Amino acid sequence: MELKRLELNNHRNYAHLDLEPGPGVNVFVGANGQGKTNLLEAVAMLALSSSPRARRDQELLGPVTPAARIHAEVESAGRGLEVTITLQGEGERVRRVIEVDGVRRRGFDLPGHFRVTLFWPDDLGLVKAGPEQRRRFLNQMLVQVEPGYARNLAALRRVLEQRNSLLKRIAAGEEAPGVLEAWNAELVAYGSDIAGARARAVEELRPYAAESHAEIAAGERLEIAYIGPPENFGDAVEKSLGDDLRRGSTTIGPHHDDLLIRLDGRDARSYASQGQQRTAVVSLKLAEAALVTRRAGERPVLLLDDVLSELDAERRAALLRRVAGEGQVIITSAEMGPFPADLITGARVWSVNSGRIEACG
Amino acid sequence: MPQLPEPLERLISELSRLPGVGPKTAQRLAFHLLRADRQRAESLARAIVDMKLRIGFCERCYNIAEGSLCAICSSARRDTTLLCVVETPLDVLAVERTSEFAGLYFVLNGVISPIDGVGPDQLHVPQLLDRVRGDGVVEVIVATDADIEGEATAVYLQRALAPLGVEVTRPAHGLPVGGDLEYADELTVARAIVGRRSF
Ligand SMILES: Nc1ncnc2c1ncn2[C@@H]1O[C@H](COP(=O)(O)OP(=O)(O)OP(=O)(O)O)[C@@H](O)[C@H]1O
Ligand SMILES: [Mg+2]
Ligand SMILES: [Zn+2]
Repeated sequence: MELKRLELNNHRNYAHLDLEPGPGVNVFVGANGQGKTNLLEAVAMLALSSSPRARRDQELLGPVTPAARIHAEVESAGRGLEVTITLQGEGERVRRVIEVDGVRRRGFDLPGHFRVTLFWPDDLGLVKAGPEQRRRFLNQMLVQVEPGYARNLAALRRVLEQRNSLLKRIAAGEEAPGVLEAWNAELVAYGSDIAGARARAVEELRPYAAESHAEIAAGERLEIAYIGPPENFGDAVEKSLGDDLRRGSTTIGPHHDDLLIRLDGRDARSYASQGQQRTAVVSLKLAEAALVTRRAGERPVLLLDDVLSELDAERRAALLRRVAGEGQVIITSAEMGPFPADLITGARVWSVNSGRIEACG
Repeated sequence: MPQLPEPLERLISELSRLPGVGPKTAQRLAFHLLRADRQRAESLARAIVDMKLRIGFCERCYNIAEGSLCAICSSARRDTTLLCVVETPLDVLAVERTSEFAGLYFVLNGVISPIDGVGPDQLHVPQLLDRVRGDGVVEVIVATDADIEGEATAVYLQRALAPLGVEVTRPAHGLPVGGDLEYADELTVARAIVGRRSF
C-alpha cells in the first residue's frame, strides 16, 4: 500500500498542495499549527471516507472557496488507483462526493480501497478513555478489512435512531408496542454482524498485541478481551424493554461494547501507570497494523502524528523498529530531536510551514 | 423592501410550498411564467386543475386512479391471489414496466419511520390486513425498498400477515443486469451470492 501522490485544494490551511511522498519513511517537520495534523487527516480520509477528528465537514473547508478537494494516486495490491473526495459547501450543509477511479462511491463503500493505520496523540489515552474511543479503534480497523462493516455500522446507527425515537413514542402512548419487534429484528441482525466481526478481530489482535507488548515492556503480560452484546442477544433485547422504555434509548447492543485491557492480570484502565498505558497503546496499534497486513495481504500506510515526542526512547525505538524498513510511513514531528540517526538516513524529510510543504536536503 | 405585485407574490409563495423548491427557485419559476406567453401559463394551470379533478386514489389498492378503481384493479386479467405491496404508486409503475407481474398491488403510502412519526396506522396497513383477510389472497410479496426503513416495514408486515395464513415473500436481491461485477458494491454482490440459485 502506498500513497504515490497527494493533491489538496483548500483543505484546512492548505490552499494548494501537490506532494509526492517517497515509498519508505517520510518525516514531516514543522512548528505548532503549521499543518502537520491537517496533512495526516487528509490522508486518513482517503482510507476512512470521513475525518477521524472533525465533527462536521464544514470544519475542513479552507478560506479560499466553500469547496475542498482531496485527490490521491495510490498503489493498492500492485494496482494504481485514484481516490478523490470533494466537499462542496451548500449553505449550512456540505456535500461529500467520493470517487474511486472516476466512479462515484458512497461513503461506506470507500474504506478498503486504500488502507492506513493511524496513530495520533489522542490515541495515547485509549486505555484510560471511555469505551467509545476503544470502539472507534476497532471500527477504524474493521471498516478497512471487513467488507460490509462500514455499511453495517451506518445501518446500525440508523436503526438505533429509529428505535430510540420509537421507544419515546411508545412511552408517550403515541405508538403501539407491537411495532418494536421489527426494529428489534433489525437491531439484532446488524448488531450481530458487527459484534461477530469485532469478536473475531479481537481474537486475531490478541497474540500480536501480547507479543509486541512483552517485547517493549520486558515480559509484561498484555491481554485483551472483547466485551460484546450478551450471548443471547435477541432475548436480551426483548428482556430490556422495560429499561429501554424508561430511558427512551436502547440499552443492549454493540453501541455499548468495550475492549477490556489487562496488564499482568489487572484491569489497565484502573491500575496501569501512565507509561504502562502508553506501551499498551503502542502494542495495540502495532497489532492493528499486523492484522490489517495479514487480512489485506499488504501493509497499510502508517500515519504517526507527533507520537514519537510523546514516547520515551525505548518505546520510540520499539515502534520504529517495527514500522520502518517495510512499507510506507508518514511521521510528523515538531522537531527532529526524537528521531534516531539511522532512521533519518534512509528517510525523506519534509518541512511544513503554514500550509506549504518543501523537501529538506 | 419594495413589494412585488400581489399576484406575483402569491404565485411565488405557492410555488415555494412545493417539495424541493426554495424561495429562490420559486422566484425564478414565477418570473419565467411571467415572461412566458399566456397559452403556456394557462395550459400549466389547466393541467394542474384537470389532474386534481380527474385523478385520485384507487379504493382497493391506493394506486393512482381515474375513477374509483385503478386500471390494474379494474382489469379482469390479473391474478387476484397474488398481492404485491409497495411503498408508492411510482413503485407500481416500476414493477409494471417489467411486465413480469400479473397479480394486484397494494400501495402503503410510505414506510414505518418513527423519526418522522410514521407508524402502521399512518400507512395503509390496517386496510392491507383487511384486504388480505377478506379476499382470497394466497401470496403477499412485500416489495418495500431494501433500506433500513423498508426492511423494518417488511419485517413488520411479515409478522402481521403470517397469522392470516398467507404466504409472505420478499423479492430476491441480485446483481444489476448488464452491470459490471467489478463495480457492483460489495453488499449487492454478497447478497447476490447468498441468494444464488441453480441454472
Ligand atoms: N478550515 C480551516 N481553514 C483554514 N485553516 C485551518 C482550518 N482548520 C484548521 N486550520 C488551521 O490549520 C493550522 C494547522 O493545524 P494542524 O492541526 O495541522 O497543526 P500541526 O502542524 O499539526 O500543529 P501541532 O504541532 O500543534 O499539532 C492551524 O493553525 C489551524 O488554525
Ligand atoms: Mg498536530
Ligand atoms: Zn387499484
